[in-house]
Amino acid sequence: MSLLDDPKAAFADLSRPEGWVLGVSVAFLLFLFVAMLTGALGPTYFLFLVGLAGMYALLSFGLNAQWGFTGLINFSVAAFFGIGAYGTALMTASGSPIAGGFSPIVGLAVALVVALALALLIGIPTLRLRADYLAIASLGLAEVVRLIVLNERWLTNGSAGLRGIPGFFDGWPVLSTFPEAMPGLRLVVIPGSPVILETAFWQAALNVLLVLAFAGAAYFVLRRAHRSPWGRVLRTIRSDEDLARALGKNTYSFKMQSFILGSLIMALAGVFYAHLNLYVGPGDLDPITTFYAWVAVILGGSGSNRGALFGGIVIVTIREGTRFLNDVALPIDPAPLRLLLIGVVIVAVMRYRPQGVLPPQRELIWPSAVDGGGTPETPDSGVRERKGGGDDE
Amino acid sequence: MTVLGYLANGLVFSSIIVLGSIGLSLVYSIADFANFAHGDTMTIGAYSALVTFGAVGGLGGAVLGLPYGFFVALVVGIAVAAVVAVATEKLIYEPLDVDSIGLLITSIGIAFIYRAVIQIRFGSDFTRFDVQPLRPIEALVPYGVRITLHDVAIFGSAVVLVVGLHVLLQYTDLGRKMRAMADNPDLARVSGIRTKRVKLWTWVIGAGLAGAGGVFLGLFNQLAPRMGFNLLLVIFAAVILGGIGSVYGAMAGGFLIGMINQLTPFFSNVVEALPIRPNWLATVIENMITIEYANAIAFVIMVVVLLVRPNGIAGEAAT
Repeated sequence: MSLLDDPKAAFADLSRPEGWVLGVSVAFLLFLFVAMLTGALGPTYFLFLVGLAGMYALLSFGLNAQWGFTGLINFSVAAFFGIGAYGTALMTASGSPIAGGFSPIVGLAVALVVALALALLIGIPTLRLRADYLAIASLGLAEVVRLIVLNERWLTNGSAGLRGIPGFFDGWPVLSTFPEAMPGLRLVVIPGSPVILETAFWQAALNVLLVLAFAGAAYFVLRRAHRSPWGRVLRTIRSDEDLARALGKNTYSFKMQSFILGSLIMALAGVFYAHLNLYVGPGDLDPITTFYAWVAVILGGSGSNRGALFGGIVIVTIREGTRFLNDVALPIDPAPLRLLLIGVVIVAVMRYRPQGVLPPQRELIWPSAVDGGGTPETPDSGVRERKGGGDDE
Repeated sequence: MTVLGYLANGLVFSSIIVLGSIGLSLVYSIADFANFAHGDTMTIGAYSALVTFGAVGGLGGAVLGLPYGFFVALVVGIAVAAVVAVATEKLIYEPLDVDSIGLLITSIGIAFIYRAVIQIRFGSDFTRFDVQPLRPIEALVPYGVRITLHDVAIFGSAVVLVVGLHVLLQYTDLGRKMRAMADNPDLARVSGIRTKRVKLWTWVIGAGLAGAGGVFLGLFNQLAPRMGFNLLLVIFAAVILGGIGSVYGAMAGGFLIGMINQLTPFFSNVVEALPIRPNWLATVIENMITIEYANAIAFVIMVVVLLVRPNGIAGEAAT
């Protein structure tokens, strides 16, 4: 029942909240598009926003693999994000105190390895804990990581952070010179306000391509994993861990695998961020990043991948929209305004829609169970007759 | 500084941590969730006191280097923190239809709202109470103890509050009901205790103590919108060390964590004196035990306690 086969039915199939989200998203996209054509919104900045939304979606994919699949309350998202960013930055940046100058591919590999080590380091002690203890302990350990990054100057440059990070595609055959090679375009849609596409635009386009590749890969791995028998065990652990254990599953090991999978995806978001921002600092490990990811997940609906994408877009709207609001309407510092909005969104979702705006409806169900027509078919005759047992007398 | 000096500092800092951790522990046991907004409740107390103190000023005389007006401000800080917490409970937490994890996540949202409102009103910069900074008490300086009369006031007020809570818990009707409810809420309810009312009083007491802790934290250091949130994990460490739900455990845990926090430089001296081999291990340990890592040490202690004795030092053996 895909959109291509039968668009009308696909739309009719949407639930009301899905329809709303679709409508608002389309309206929002149109608004951005019009703003871009009139020159109010630079196309380069627009692509930057798309990249950022992709990054938050990637973070919430990672958190979904932990919280949505397995029910692990991980409050150390910022640590994995930051370690991913630092991992690649330390290998590639010209200002790196330990290595530097390696290709971003090496940076990516190192970031993933370091994130894996950190996942083991945080996961081994905390994954045995009860849910609320896990939340507190993982937040505490994330703070330990942040303090180490802040204070070990010989390793991380301390509070100065790392500069001189190359773009991700530096040193690639065609892509490294792609932005310079592309011609500058000047589109005049509305007289007087031309839209100019230059090197920076093509650079941003490459970044979007990168995040799409990361997010796409993460999405397909997660979807495959979730529908596999492995994912079914995770779902069982989430709803009743004792049951999973009673069925002979080593729940600790499954939790660890899910924790590692999610953490690696968060580190991917960090790698992308380092090559997008070209600077990383200890502030990137601030707990607020953790809560951004949480807002994206609970707003979108725990376990829902569409929800993660939607949550990512909302987070970017809050993050960048407050800046915009500050320029135009309200003379309030954007930082507390952002904090206030995040808080209000969390409370409002928990109050009015604890399952999230786009709760997973079909994603959590084995696909073949749905394709048969939604409702299971009603048998014409009783089970006993069909089995040929007949009547006893 | 001498050992005595570190101990004295530890005592003052512990007073603040104890005030914070009692409230967190009370709410954890009776409302049954980890309240992440507790640290920001402390911030609310501190800023309410700042505003009040600015309005009432000195009011004549002074005790322990603090004008009477400051104590008025302290009471207002306690009251505002309690009122805000009760209003939050009534408006937000009570109508929610979610489990304790949902409440935990909601309380993070509440914490952000508290902090954002304070930051919008007062900016994100540091401020101080408008009291004269004092010199250390002369008589104690020869012993290497450099504490001011303000520190004595913090410690003294905390002792008064903690003893008051002890009396309340042990000798009043409300205290007995609270203990009964912390022990077994269902049994308390069928025994005819109006658990809703007791729960409300728990919020009042817990948030009030947090407000007091916030005021003292502002006097001890400075005020900033992040002050409470920064302390929250240290307070969680204290509560978990003491055993969640146990008020006396929270006192003990708060005392220990506060002491360890302030004694960190002293421990690093001790480590330096110890004959640790090989050398690289000694260097690593010395680097880890520095004042920058004082909080990190508290968090690691917290995780270790959760692993080996999840019920804390005062908790029962197993549940």
